[in-house]
Amino acid sequence: MTTLNNTTQDVRVCTKTVMDNIADPDITFDENGVCNYFYQYQDRVEKFFVGGEEGQRQMEEVFAKIREEGKNKKYDCITGVSGGVDSTYMVYLCKKYGLRPLVVHLDNGWNSEIANQNINNIIDKCGFDLHTHVIDWEEFRDLQLSFLKASVIDLELTSDHAIFAVIYGLAQKHGITYMLNGFNITTEGILPSAWRWFKYDWLNIRSIQKQFGSKKLKTFPHVSFGKKTYYEFVKKIQTVMPLNYIDYNKEEAKELISRELGWRDYGGKHFESIITRFYQGYILPEKFGVDKRKAHLSTLIASGQMTRDEALEELKQPIYDADMLEEDKEFVLKKFGFSEAEFEAVMNAPIKAHTDYPSYITKHYKYHEQIMKSISPATRLVKKALGIRRENKSY
Amino acid sequence: MQRARIIPILTVDNGKLVKTVKFKKPNYIGDPINAIKIFNDKMIDEIVILDITASKQGRKPNTDLIYEMASECFSPLGYGGGITSFEEAKKVFDQGVEKVIINSAIAGNASLLQEIADAYGSQSVVVSLDVKKPLFGGMRPCFRSASDVIKEDIVAFAQRMESAGAGELIVHNTDRDGTFSGLDRELTKSVASAVGIPVIACGGAHSVEDMNETISATGASAAAAGSIFVYKDRNPKSILISYPTPEDIISR
Repeated sequence: MTTLNNTTQDVRVCTKTVMDNIADPDITFDENGVCNYFYQYQDRVEKFFVGGEEGQRQMEEVFAKIREEGKNKKYDCITGVSGGVDSTYMVYLCKKYGLRPLVVHLDNGWNSEIANQNINNIIDKCGFDLHTHVIDWEEFRDLQLSFLKASVIDLELTSDHAIFAVIYGLAQKHGITYMLNGFNITTEGILPSAWRWFKYDWLNIRSIQKQFGSKKLKTFPHVSFGKKTYYEFVKKIQTVMPLNYIDYNKEEAKELISRELGWRDYGGKHFESIITRFYQGYILPEKFGVDKRKAHLSTLIASGQMTRDEALEELKQPIYDADMLEEDKEFVLKKFGFSEAEFEAVMNAPIKAHTDYPSYITKHYKYHEQIMKSISPATRLVKKALGIRRENKSY
Repeated sequence: MQRARIIPILTVDNGKLVKTVKFKKPNYIGDPINAIKIFNDKMIDEIVILDITASKQGRKPNTDLIYEMASECFSPLGYGGGITSFEEAKKVFDQGVEKVIINSAIAGNASLLQEIADAYGSQSVVVSLDVKKPLFGGMRPCFRSASDVIKEDIVAFAQRMESAGAGELIVHNTDRDGTFSGLDRELTKSVASAVGIPVIACGGAHSVEDMNETISATGASAAAAGSIFVYKDRNPKSILISYPTPEDIISR
C-alpha cells in the first residue's frame, strides 16, 4: 500500500478514537494521546448540535416555520436524495412533519440497483415529487478522468459540487428558500481536511478539466462563488441541517427507514454509488493511504454510538469484499474506457494537492477572510436591514 | 404456467440513452451501460435496445457499444437499429446479442430474414412491425423510426414477415410512443390472431397492469415499454429506472 507518511514515522493511534497519523499531516495528539479530531468534534457539538428534548423542540419549530412560509408555494423546501441512509432519513422526516419537499436526485451514471430501488421505494411511500437531474455522462466521464489524471484526492468533488448546483438552481426556479441537508455531526463530524476538498471550488474543477480534459464542460451543473453568494443573499436560500438538532443514531435510523420506507442496506457508508465505493474502497486506500472508515467510526465513538474496541474490530475487516472489488473494478474501467495499464499509471502517479491547481482557496480565500473580518460589522447591519437570518445549525 | 414476458425497451441515440415521444423530442436519460446494469440487477426477463437514429442517419450498428451493453446483461438481449445485411447481423450477434431486430431493411430486402434464420434460428430474428396511422386510411407499416410509411395492410404485412422467416414480431404503435395512452390492444389482437409466431405488444404502455391486461386480452406473448420503466410516476422529470417484481407480473 502506498501511504503518505507512515514510511517516515511510526503509526500512532488516538487513544479515544481510531484516528491515526497515516496519510494525515494535520493530526496532533495531546499528552494523553487524544487526537485533535476528538476535541474538534466536541467543539462542533458545542457550537452546532442541540439534541435531546430541546433539540427536538427546536427542530419542530424550524419545520413549522418552513411549513408556514411555504404554505402558498408548490414546495416548501428542497432536499437531495441518493438512496443512502442520511438523505433517506431526511426525506422520512419531511414526511413525518408534513413538509412538502421537492426531492432531487442527481444521476451521475454510477447508481447501483440498490440506490435506484431505495429511491423508488422512498418516493412511493412518501408520495413526494422527484426531480432527477441526469448529468451528461460523456462530459462527466471526461471530468472524472481529469480528476484521476490530476492525481488529487477528492474525486467526489465533481458529484458533490453538481448536486449542490442542481439543488440551488431548482430552489431558485421554484422559489424555494429552504434547502434541507442530511449532513450531521453525530455520524459525520470527524473528517480530516486533508482527505477532502472544498465542495464549492468551481475554479478548481474548471482548472483541472481545462488542463486534463478533452471536452469542454457545457452542461455540467456548477455554481460559482458569485452565484452562490447571489443565491444566499439575494434569493435568501438557506441551508437547514435538521439532523443536527436531534439525537441522530445511525443504527436506529437504518432500522426505522427499513421498516417505514422499505429501504435496503448496501454495506459501507456511501456504498450506494459504484464509483463511491470503488473510490473509498480501493482508490483512496491504495493510492492515498486513506481509510475513510476511521473517520466514520471515530465519529460514532465520539458520539457514543460505538465503543473504540468495536471500531478496532471493524477496521480489521477488509474495506471491500474481494469479489465485489473485482466486479466493480472491471465495471469502472469499462465505464471510463481505461485499460488496466492506463489505470495503473493513474494509481501510481505522484499525489498532487488540489492547490497545485488554481483554486478559490488559494486565489480568494485568504483575502476573502481578511476582507470579511474587516467589513463584518457592516455586513451584519446590511444583513439585518435585508432581513437575512440564519436558522440553521450549519457550518 | 409461464409468466408473461415484460420487456423494457431502451432507445439509444448516438450512444446516449434517450426517451422520445412519438420518436421525437428526445429526453436524455443517461448512460446506457449503467442503465442496463441496473435493469440486469433487477432480474428482467429480457431487454430490447433500439438505436433509433442509426437507419435514419445511415449508420451501421455501433458494435463497441453493443458489446459493452451486452456484457452487462445476463438476460436475453435484443438489438435493433442499422442492421441492413447478414454480415451486420452477424457482427451484432458476435457481441453477445441473442436476437436481432429488423425494421428498415425489410422494406427492400425481406430475404435477409431467412438468411439470418437459417444461420441463427428463427427465434433470433425479430421484426419490429412499426405501425402508424396516416391522416387518411388505416394503420400502415412504417420504417426509419416512423418517417417512411408504406401502403400495405398491416395484417397482410405481418403474415408476409412470418413467411419470410421472422420468429417474433414486435407490434409497435408508434403514434403512442411515450404518450402513456395505453397499449393498442385492437392492433395487437388483429396481428396476434393472424400469425403463428409470438407477438410483443409495444407503444404507449400506461402501466404494468396495462401490459398484463393487454397480454391476456390479445393473445400476445409479451409486452414491451420504455417510458414507464425510465420515468417515475409517468413524470419525464423523474428519471428513475424501475421494473416490476415477479408478483406484479401475471402468469399465463
